[in-house]
Amino acid sequence: MRATRIAGASPTCSRYDVKLHYDAPTEAFRSQLRAWLEQNQPTLEEMRADPLTSSAHMTDWARRWQQCLFDAGLLVPGWPPELGGRNLPPVQQLVYHEEMAKIAAERSGNPQGLGIIAPSIHDYGSDLLKEKYLRPTLRAEITWCLGMSEPGAGSDLAALSTRAEVHDDHFVVSGQKIWTSGAHHADHCFCFVRTDPDAPKHKGISVVIVDMKAPGVTVRPLPEMNDPDHVDFNEVFFDGVVVPRDHLVGPLDQGWSIPAGSLAHERGMMWLRGAAKLDGIVAGLLELAREPGPDGRRLGEDECFRDAVARAYLDTQAIWFMGYRGFAKFARGEVSPEHSVLKLFSSEVCQSAALAATEAMGIGALDVDFEGYGYDDTHGLPPWMTQYFQSYRATISAGTSEIQRNIIAQRVLGLPRR
Amino acid sequence: MDFEITPEQQALVESVRSVLERECPTALVRDIVENGSAPEQPWKSAHELGWTSIDLPEGLGGLGLGFTTLGLVVEQHGRCIAPGPFLASVTQFLTLVCEAGAPDQLELFAIPAAAGELRGALAIDHGRVAERQPGESLRARRDGNDWILEGERPYVLDGDTADEIAVVARVDEGDRVGLFLVPQAAAEARRVVALDASRPLAHLRFDGVRVEPGRVLGTPGRSAAALGRSLERATIAAALECVGTCQTLLERTLAHVKSRRQFDQPIGAFQAIQHKCADMFLQVEKARATGYFALLAVTEDDPRRALAASMAKAAASDAQRLVCKDAIQIHGGMGYTWESDVQLFVKRAKTLEALFGAGDAHRRRIADLLEV
Repeated sequence: MRATRIAGASPTCSRYDVKLHYDAPTEAFRSQLRAWLEQNQPTLEEMRADPLTSSAHMTDWARRWQQCLFDAGLLVPGWPPELGGRNLPPVQQLVYHEEMAKIAAERSGNPQGLGIIAPSIHDYGSDLLKEKYLRPTLRAEITWCLGMSEPGAGSDLAALSTRAEVHDDHFVVSGQKIWTSGAHHADHCFCFVRTDPDAPKHKGISVVIVDMKAPGVTVRPLPEMNDPDHVDFNEVFFDGVVVPRDHLVGPLDQGWSIPAGSLAHERGMMWLRGAAKLDGIVAGLLELAREPGPDGRRLGEDECFRDAVARAYLDTQAIWFMGYRGFAKFARGEVSPEHSVLKLFSSEVCQSAALAATEAMGIGALDVDFEGYGYDDTHGLPPWMTQYFQSYRATISAGTSEIQRNIIAQRVLGLPRR
Repeated sequence: MDFEITPEQQALVESVRSVLERECPTALVRDIVENGSAPEQPWKSAHELGWTSIDLPEGLGGLGLGFTTLGLVVEQHGRCIAPGPFLASVTQFLTLVCEAGAPDQLELFAIPAAAGELRGALAIDHGRVAERQPGESLRARRDGNDWILEGERPYVLDGDTADEIAVVARVDEGDRVGLFLVPQAAAEARRVVALDASRPLAHLRFDGVRVEPGRVLGTPGRSAAALGRSLERATIAAALECVGTCQTLLERTLAHVKSRRQFDQPIGAFQAIQHKCADMFLQVEKARATGYFALLAVTEDDPRRALAASMAKAAASDAQRLVCKDAIQIHGGMGYTWESDVQLFVKRAKTLEALFGAGDAHRRRIADLLEV
């Protein structure tokens, strides 16, 4: 085929699908959304006065905010109004996520409830469970923790051994979960349990909803390395906990097929919050560059640090570019390898950027005084050493970087499993 | 925001690829490297099929398809490590002439270059490209209405095979940048024993070479902006060719680890290999996305274009460093041999890395532009 002119193309007005800008209706939506957020988002003062201390800590302002989003059809904008949405098309959903990433308030004080458990109940729950849990979850009336990892089942999640004995009208749950975010604040646990111990590993797993106040449930907080007062993770012990039979989600023994991922229709946009966080880190590095380093000179004059800032900037921009490329494929319903890559890459860029800052600062990096509380981000960026340690949340949780590399190699590049 | 390419661009890319795959097997490159052959293809096809005039405005008889389309075609050249004048003549020489040339110069030099009748090269100090300086080793001084070039410009891509050389020289006025068109024969050329013989380099010496006014591009001392803009394009093109080369190295490595068996299984089943492959893939995807952004930024004359060009080159640099290292390593002993084609691709990638400034120079430029 010989290269030919595109009909109607001229040097000043070429038609490209590849754009650096959105079309006018999309930008109009953005303006409306910004104005609405300006009017309705919680103030920094009220957020600081009553900070979110875990991923299931639904403070009064957080509950009001989530209900406000729900009522405006801006909680899950791709969903219909009765589920807190307005049936937005994918591109406008992306703009929604871009704008939400710029404000201090999270969509929900219970991100796993909104992002993982509500959609799972929507897709797999019985009418009874939907009635009882879906709308209250979306309206922030109840909060959730996700019972997945166990001491003996981390990366190898299907090795989980928490048992649920099956009886006629109830289950009896015994075992232990760990890394259970927000368990000390959550009302319910969306819990992966073994219902058939004789079946192969991936079979015989079911999902049940456990009342966290039920007799036999014990929660032991597991503070993170940065702060003994900061608890999001917990160990959760189940000792003969009775769960009604109708609190089974999906078919018995087929819990492994319930994808404990994020909202499926938002999967092409989940990278965006990580990219926005990295923008904040790059801005922090640029600010740090203006401050004196260990030798008294401006850090921006240190060639090593300049190189690290340029790397962090480049990698962050690349994450946006890859994210948008992946989104374009996602919006067309195609498989996009970008998503598996983006989790891995953004978490590691975050880590190396924070590490570079600590190294450039020298002894000054040892001052870790910070007014903010670990889980809320209303006080700006924590000290760089704290950020460096916090970065391991992203490289370890939701599939470690090593597991991500296995996934990319096997599912994207087609290399054989062992 | 959509970084996908149009169906028209996709169709063109596929046709370029199938032509190059047919006309430019690695045996062709190997014949250049081993026997010094000078194949007519794929350059002949490139101008016969219109690839060389993709980015030339329609008013000049070009296709006016824009820089994004040109970049995608260059990426395909990288995939096949296509030899020939395409990179130097179209993305370097023609770009500078279009950016800085007067109408009669476009007529005399750009249109023939886009038609493939004239092969051009760009004599620039690659070590100073990132910082947009003309370099000190080659100077131009006024002599009446003419200019006299004096000095040396080392490492000119296609410097002894092109017909015309676009010379960037230091002048003692204004912004210090002078741009001149010189017939190749006017320079004394010394061929470099180049790493990649399919990307030939020559040192060019200019001993009092006289340049008449008709061969002066723009106004010496007021040419830095035009040079900067054309260097952005040339830098991005080199980055995209590098992305294409890295993509092929990755694909060849993946094919190898799927078929090569040790310990009764494909070596691709080992996690140590899988993780390397995942990281190579990540870096190639990063470089491609960054390169495409840069194509768009220049096509739309976005204010971020200078930053985008340096990001594209720095990202291509990251990709080639990791991909070359692990492609050789994973191919094992065969990866170290002359007979394996891995070396051909690695040498192309290393050549592209060095053209227009390596990764560290462009990260310095990024830091400057961000006012770190």
